[in-house]
Amino acid sequence: MSHMLTATAPVSAPESDAAARAAVSIRGADKSFTLGRGRTLQALDAVDIEVEEGEFVAIIGPSGCGKSTVLRLAAGLDTATHGDVEVFGADPKVLASQHRLGVAFQEHALLPWASVRSNIALPYKVSGRTVDDARVDGLIELVGLKGFEKARPKQLSGGMRQRVSIARALALSPDLLLLDEPFGALDAVTRRRMNSELARIWGEEKITTILVTHDVDEALILADRVIVMTGRPGRVRTVKKIDFGRPRDHSVTRSPEFHDLVDELTSLLDESDEA
Amino acid sequence: MRPATRASTKVLYGVAGTILLILLAELIGQFQLAGRAWPPLTDVLAYVSEPNGASLLWRNSLVTLTAAAQGFVLGVVVSVLGAALALVVPLLRPGFDRFAAILHAVPTIALAPLLITTVGREDTPMVIAALSVGFVMFVTMTSGFANVPPAQEDVFTVFGSRRSQRLLRLEIPRAVPAFFDGLTLCAPAAILGATIGEWFGAPMGLGLLLVSSMQNYQMALLWSAALAATIMSLAAYLVFIQLQRLAARRFA
Repeated sequence: MSHMLTATAPVSAPESDAAARAAVSIRGADKSFTLGRGRTLQALDAVDIEVEEGEFVAIIGPSGCGKSTVLRLAAGLDTATHGDVEVFGADPKVLASQHRLGVAFQEHALLPWASVRSNIALPYKVSGRTVDDARVDGLIELVGLKGFEKARPKQLSGGMRQRVSIARALALSPDLLLLDEPFGALDAVTRRRMNSELARIWGEEKITTILVTHDVDEALILADRVIVMTGRPGRVRTVKKIDFGRPRDHSVTRSPEFHDLVDELTSLLDESDEA
Repeated sequence: MRPATRASTKVLYGVAGTILLILLAELIGQFQLAGRAWPPLTDVLAYVSEPNGASLLWRNSLVTLTAAAQGFVLGVVVSVLGAALALVVPLLRPGFDRFAAILHAVPTIALAPLLITTVGREDTPMVIAALSVGFVMFVTMTSGFANVPPAQEDVFTVFGSRRSQRLLRLEIPRAVPAFFDGLTLCAPAAILGATIGEWFGAPMGLGLLLVSSMQNYQMALLWSAALAATIMSLAAYLVFIQLQRLAARRFA
């Protein structure tokens, strides 16, 4: 353990103001999984990602490019094989243990025996706080599920379940919101509607957010910055700042600039697919 | 239309099969195809419907049912607590698994002398019923507790859940269908266990009736005791399978 590959500063404490302001900082992160019989799969190769506080960053890439792995590193669900992952200047697990993290997963992962209301209130209960009924009601309204409080997940459509999942992620007003393809399983129309709803919610809450998606339009509608990843092993290819004003309604999504950007990013994805 | 037809066909098959079996048993008895030890079903029913026979059966069935119910509760409580403990303290898991397997591998007959000297003749049926229930319940609950989808585990991790909350709000509700699956399997096992336990010198019970009627060649009594045990076993199974269906609907 004494000499690692890179000479990282021993405990990067009050290094600089930039590091202090970065909500998520992933530096030189490698991640490999052992597949058994001595084979390993390298999911990430020297990934550097910085997310500023209050920023909405989208990570796009072909499936299997390790973008979900990046999210799991930031959530403290996985640890990097090499490299540093810091969230608000500390180990990512600290944020979870302080109940300051919100995550919406690809599979909604709602509790099937619990109602919409108690699914959204779950973060309060597991963190040992008293449930803030007004906040839960507000979230139900925010995600447009008024009247469905008592319904159980299997009585809801796919889009509604994802909205419950997002409301649950928002319940504790987290400092960091991680969204792992939350609309991946939805049809294009529902997806569009969910995107504009998420943009509206984000406009109200302004939480530092990382969204993982394979949908270029979705990334451009929602994000301040888009990170394009290439696959096998996952690397950051390009980082693109998105300057469209908000809210990004049809006047933006139908503009030629928007379409140019969609084309540009899509061609980057195509290249990375062939690589 | 279709599913209804299929359901009624299923019921029809069930009823037809039962009638066929009863008829077959009756015929074998009537023509003594299996010797004198297989009486016609009508003889058994005649014995049961006569007041003496009925009261004898009733009293002994109650004793067996009580022992089975006590053993059932004891076995279920101990094994569920054991499985929960092995979940919370993973260090205990391999030891508990092995202990349960060894206990299960020892034949009841081999345990009988030990039980008679320790818990006594009267309580042996209850303990054997508990033992018959325990292993099945332990295995079902361990797999029920382990059957939590990784995504739901992750949800609790990212919200910084405490261990007690994870147990209370995820692992226990998740294992409820498995719990009722276990009960369904265990209810008949408890009745069988109690009956066998009564072979080892219990003062009363269906097991005792079986042994004594076998030795005294009272075929009608023997078969009516067997019938009573079977009916109790089936009834317990039917009750618990209904509960299990409810649980599966509510928790999955």
